[in-house]
Amino acid sequence: MTHYELFLTASITGLEILLCILVWIRHLQSRLPFFTGYAVTILAATLSQMYVIAIYGYRGSVTTFYYIWISYGCVLLARSATILELFRDIFKPYPGIWGLTWRLLAVLTLILLVHGAMDAQGQINWLAAGGLTLERDVDIASFLILATMLLIGNYYHLPIESIHKWIALGICFFCVIEYANSSVLRNLLAQYMSSGVATKAQVDRINDLWNTIYTAASAASLGSWCYLLRKPLPEPAKHPVLLPAGVYQELSPAINLRLRALNDHLEEMLRS
Amino acid sequence: MSSLPIAMLLAIAAFAGLLWLLRKGKRPAKTAGALNSQEITGSRPRHYRFFPQIRQALSTADEEYLRKKVPADIAQRVRRERRAVARKFLSGLREDFSNLEQMGRMIAALSPDVNHAQETERLSLRLKFQFLYALVWLSLSTGRMPLRQIEHLTGLVGSLALRMEQAMVRINALTPEQNFHGLNA
Repeated sequence: MTHYELFLTASITGLEILLCILVWIRHLQSRLPFFTGYAVTILAATLSQMYVIAIYGYRGSVTTFYYIWISYGCVLLARSATILELFRDIFKPYPGIWGLTWRLLAVLTLILLVHGAMDAQGQINWLAAGGLTLERDVDIASFLILATMLLIGNYYHLPIESIHKWIALGICFFCVIEYANSSVLRNLLAQYMSSGVATKAQVDRINDLWNTIYTAASAASLGSWCYLLRKPLPEPAKHPVLLPAGVYQELSPAINLRLRALNDHLEEMLRS
Repeated sequence: MSSLPIAMLLAIAAFAGLLWLLRKGKRPAKTAGALNSQEITGSRPRHYRFFPQIRQALSTADEEYLRKKVPADIAQRVRRERRAVARKFLSGLREDFSNLEQMGRMIAALSPDVNHAQETERLSLRLKFQFLYALVWLSLSTGRMPLRQIEHLTGLVGSLALRMEQAMVRINALTPEQNFHGLNA
């Protein structure tokens, strides 16, 4: 490992340790168990990767290469579980909206993941180019699902707690940057592999660039979560008192009828 | 490698777009009393009630008077001002429409069962309204739309407002604790 790579790893590890400590201090393990699991998983992945690198070396080691990808797969799984946890926490107290959105988000997730798997399957080197492709598609799927979730919450004026919002935005930021990163670098890697003229220096350069962008995006997300957790969190919001079902059944069609009439009139005004 | 900065800019723009969309929708929270007396007073339609005054200001008789008695340049200025008043009034009607539509969303949020078709329809009606409103506003600004057309529009919003007010009174009667703290974060 170069000094630069050591610096990147150390800075990320520092933030990950700080996040785990803050999560513990704020007792998030009972409030957000999957997010706690995610924080622990990213720290465990980084520390174990450092251990594997210390034993097998960084460049040229097949064991290190495979281990890094497998541990990154675990981080992706933990992140997906966190997204599910956010979705459940935000929408579950509102059964009407929950019933409306879970199917939509499930279908969206399925389409994006199937697309990602099919995209990855066609790659020349499954674990390098294929892994990057799958990671890229999981990243964009996470971004789209979280963005949809936040926008639906915003549309219905659901009270999204600051902890949920910050976690969602942190993951969104990381995923969208990583999507761009993986898209560009995956194409370069695919070009090098198909042409067979890539030098070791070129591959190393791509690797360094990927690491730098990954570290910067990680640092921004981890930093925002640490910043949020610097103070005690407010108590979780109480569950809402729901209206009787008949109110919606009576009012909603009436509102829509009037809105339609208003639109018809606007159209008529424009035609006249 | 040269496409990397472009990709990064696009990624940051996508994230900024998400933040903007979230910020744009941030209005004063319709909270604890959202469906109760004070909050309803704040969100129920108000502007349509000013229509008699507006109608007086934009009346055809006034238009006749302007054409016959007032010098052309002054008449032109007055017409511009009248159009501006009409546009402001139209904008107020849009606010009324938004408040009522927002109430519909709040009722949906607090309902145990929500109809998919109703919600999709309301969303599409909202988008359509925004598009049509922009066109009407443009027509009004360019003087291609008679001011009397607004009258019917006002009547529609007014009747919707009346119906909603009656419904809110009934909802309040259904909830003796007067506490919808679900929307109170």
